[in-house]
This record gives sequence, C-alpha cells and structure tokens, in this order.
Amino acid sequence: MKTVLKSVVLAAGLVLTAQPVLAAAPQAKTLEQLLQDVQKDRLSDNKINKQREQEFLSARADKQALLSKAKSELAAEQARGKQLEASFADNEKQLAALEEKLTLAVGNMGEMFGVVRQVAGDAQSRFQTSIISAQYPGRDKEMKELAQSKELPELPQLEDLWFALQKEMTASGEVVKFKAPVITVDGEKKEMDVTRVGAFNLMSSDQYLVYNSESGTVDELSRQPESYMTDTVISFGKNTSGYSPLYVDPSRGTILTLMTQKVTLLERYNQGGTVGYIITGVLALGLLIVLERLIVLGGMSAAISRQRKSDTPSDNNPLGRILKVYENNRNVDVETLELKLDEAILKETPRIERGVSVIKVLAAVAPLLGLLGTVTGMIDTFQSITLFGTGDPKIMAGGISTALVTTVLGLVAALPLIFLHSIVYSRSQSLIHLVEEQAAGIIAEHAEKESK
Amino acid sequence: MMLFLIELWESVRDFMNTGGIVLYWLALVLFIMWVLMIERYLYLTTGFPKLVKTVLGNWDAREDTTSWYAHRIREAWISQANEKLNARMQLIKTMVAMCPLIGLLGTVTGMVHVFEIMANTGTGNPRLMASGISMATIPTMAGMVAALSGVFFSSRLEAKVKVASHRLVDSMPHH
Repeated sequence: MKTVLKSVVLAAGLVLTAQPVLAAAPQAKTLEQLLQDVQKDRLSDNKINKQREQEFLSARADKQALLSKAKSELAAEQARGKQLEASFADNEKQLAALEEKLTLAVGNMGEMFGVVRQVAGDAQSRFQTSIISAQYPGRDKEMKELAQSKELPELPQLEDLWFALQKEMTASGEVVKFKAPVITVDGEKKEMDVTRVGAFNLMSSDQYLVYNSESGTVDELSRQPESYMTDTVISFGKNTSGYSPLYVDPSRGTILTLMTQKVTLLERYNQGGTVGYIITGVLALGLLIVLERLIVLGGMSAAISRQRKSDTPSDNNPLGRILKVYENNRNVDVETLELKLDEAILKETPRIERGVSVIKVLAAVAPLLGLLGTVTGMIDTFQSITLFGTGDPKIMAGGISTALVTTVLGLVAALPLIFLHSIVYSRSQSLIHLVEEQAAGIIAEHAEKESK
Repeated sequence: MMLFLIELWESVRDFMNTGGIVLYWLALVLFIMWVLMIERYLYLTTGFPKLVKTVLGNWDAREDTTSWYAHRIREAWISQANEKLNARMQLIKTMVAMCPLIGLLGTVTGMVHVFEIMANTGTGNPRLMASGISMATIPTMAGMVAALSGVFFSSRLEAKVKVASHRLVDSMPHH
C-alpha cells in the first residue's frame, strides 16, 4: 500500500510539475483507473523481463559454444605452428647441407670468376688508353660491365673477354688503314683515312694523329713534328710494297703531344724582340758590306794582276794609276818621282780600306746589342717579379729566355762578321802592301828593263 | 787496339751529345785552325827556304844594289816574300779568338734550353734542367781549351814568321 501511495504521490508530483511541459500526457482519470493501469503494467513488465531473461540465457549458451570453438581452433593452430617450426628447422638443415654441397661444387670456379673480373678490369683500362680503340670503339664499356657485374659471368661473356684480348694482341701487330672521324685543329669533325701502326701510331696521309683516350676521339696535332719526320709518313703512305722507314712514337702519342710544346726556331727568334731585329739588321748590313768589299777587292786584284802582265798602264786599277804617274814623270829626278808616287799611293789606300773597319765595328756592336737585349730582358723579368712575385717560375723564365735569345743573336751575328772581317781585312792588306811597297819596285823593274 | 779506338770514339760521341750542336761548330773551327797552322809550319820549314834561296840568288845576281831603283826592288821582293809568309796568319788569329766566342754561344743556348724547360715544366724537375746545364758548361770549357791550344801555337808561329822575315831582310845586303 505504501508503495502504491508513494507512487501515487510521485505520480501526482510528476503530474503537477510536468504539467506545463507534458501537456499531451495521458492522464488518469481516476485513482481506480490508475491502480488498474499500474497492475496491468506490472504484469506486462514481468512478462517482458522474463522474456529478456530468456534471451540472455540463450545468448550465454551461444557464447559458450563460440568460446569453446575458438579454443579448439587455437589449439589446432598451435599444433600446426609446432609442425611448421619443425619443418622450418628441417628445411634449414637441408639448406645448409645443400649450400655446403654448392660450395663444394663451385670449388675452384669461384676463384676463376674473381680472376675474370680482375682481367676484365685490367683490359678495360688498357683498352681505354690503347690507340687500337680508335678502330674498334666501345670495347672498354663491355669490359667495364663485365668487371663490375655482381652476377656470375656467362659462357658467351667469357668468350667475349678472351676474344677481345686476342683481338688487341693481333691488332697491335698489324698496320691497317681504316676510316675514322678525326677532329681537326679547327674543331671540325672530318671523316679521314687513318693508318694505324700497331699500338703505336695513328697517321693520316701526311701527318701524325693522336688518340684522345678521355673522349675516345682521334685528334689532329696542333703542331706537327719537324718535316723530316712527317716526310716519312708521306713516303710510308705512298709505299705499296716492301719496307719503308717511319718515325714511330714508342710512347703511344705522349712524345708527339710533348713535341707540340716545343718552340720553333722562328718563335724563339721572335722572342728576342726589338733588340733582336736590330741585331739582325746589323748582321744584314755587315754581310752586305762584306759582299760589296769582296766583289770590289776581287775585281781590283784581278785588274792589278792583268795590269802586271801588260805594258801599258790603264786607269781602271790602283797599280795602273800609279804607273801612269811614273809614265807622266819619266824625266824628273828620283826624289820628285818618289814624292809624286807617294801622293798617288796615298790617294789609292782609302779606296781599298774603305768599309773594312765598318765591318769590324759592326762585329763588335752585335754582341754589345745582345748584352743590351739581355739587360732589358732582365729588367722585364724583375718588373714581372715586382708585379707577380716569384711564385710562378714560368713568368720569370719567359723573360729570362727572352734576355738570353738576344745574347745568342748577338753572338750569332758577331761570329760570321768577325770571320768575314778577317778575310776582307787580309785581302785589303795584301792589296795595300802591293800598292804601298811593291808598286815602286814594279816601276823600278820597268825602268831597268827599258834602260837596258 | 780496335776496341780502344771504338771506346774512344764512343766517349767523344757522348761528349758531343751532352755538349750540343755548338760543339760541332767548335770542332769545325778547331779543325780548320789546326790545318791552317800545320800548313804554315810546313811552309816555314819547306816552302819558304826555297823562296828565300831564289830571292837571294836573284839579289846576288844583280849588279846594281845601291841605287834608288835597287832599293825599291829589294823592298818589293821582301814585301812579296812577307806576303807569302804572312798569308792566312790573320785568319788563324781570328779563329783562335772565335773559339771562346763559340763556347759562349753554346753556354747561352744551353741556358736558353734550361729556361725553356723551366717555362714548360716549372722548377720541379732538376734532372731535366741538368741536360741544359751540361749543354751550357761543356761548350765553354771546350771553347777555352780550343782557344788555349791555338793561342800557344799561333803565337809561336807568329814569332817564327817574324824571325824568318827579319832573317830575309838581313841576308839581302847592299853590296
């Protein structure tokens, strides 16, 4: 009863408080009716509860079944795991045994593959620098692949290796002609007939070529060696049978490229600069004077020897002119004649001696000019030292070689001038002796002959 | 004997190679110089006495040896003899003087070589420079030796020539 009352009061309270909100809630019309409703509801609630209990019970049974099923599955899997583990261990053992078998089977072969890689590596570096690669390009790449591959080489690759080595060997012993693109000095690419002499030299029809191992191209030399060497190339190219001499570069191109740095004689001459040209001028002037003197003195002595054979004095030589003085003064006394003769001789000597001392002066000036060039060259050197320091010997060496070239030029000019001066001098001296000391004697002989 | 000669030749060739091309010029000059000097010696001992004999014979055969004409003729003969005696003496002296100059030329070309190597490769390689230095020093020495050998004999020769010419003058008296 109490609970009923309570619920009624509660319901009333609820009704009172919830009234404004739940305006549509069904309202018990009377207490009686409410009681009836409650009883009815209690019945239905019990029914629902019973039903739910039933449901839970049935669900529990289900779960129990699932659990047991899962447990059995777990057990089965664990069993399988054990089995697999066992088989894994078995397999591992088998693998180890097989591997052992493999190493046994490979045995010496492993060593062989190492050797193959090493040989391929060596061959690659050799092919890269070999001039035979100009004829058969791309060989070093194949070798590189073989040397760097992680896999074991196969039989065809091994065959390629020894074939390539054999080819290199054979090619290094033959002289062949083939067509190849050549990079000229201007940088153009030209298709040319290239002759290869073993592993040593590449040549076109008239010049030496070099193989550039970095770019793998055939290059023209920026400067060919001396003509006596390139001449052999031309004659070698024209030769069709038998043997022909040829200059071969045993260093496979290194010497040829070094030769391009060699200074030619003309370049070295130009290093002398202005002083060098002046010295050349001095030498040329001296040689001209020598030539003129030799011609004049030669003509003079020829005329004199002709004069000595003939009796009539002629005007075209010194001796003839002196004899003429005697002819004109036949009847004067001896002292006057001597005076007249001395006068005539005095007139002749400058004509003979002219220019001889100039040659000597030029011969003396040439080495002095060389010295001048040396000093100016040294001044240049020291100027470059003040500007750039002594760090680069090449800058200094350039100036010094300029200085020395002028010295060389001075000496080269002086030596022939000194030599030629001595020849011209002795010639003029003998003529002067002839005129000064022998002319009077010749006249005396004439006079004696006439008086007899 | 043959082996010794071959060895000698080898050493000479080595010397020539280290000294460079200038040595060949020097050898040429030295050779010409010595040929000329030997020729002079031979002339002094064989040719000149014959000439003196003929000249003296001619002079002694002359009746008149005191007149102006005779004086001039004597002078002319002496001058002609001197001319023959002194022929090429100037050339010999010049060649003696040229020897050290050629040596100097070799020195300078050797130095040019050294500095050229320096310009090309820097100072790093003294072995390369050594060839240039030997090219510089050997011709100097060779030039000096050549000149010294020439100086002694050429001055002896000159003295002999002078003595011979004086003797000729003295042996042509005015009688």
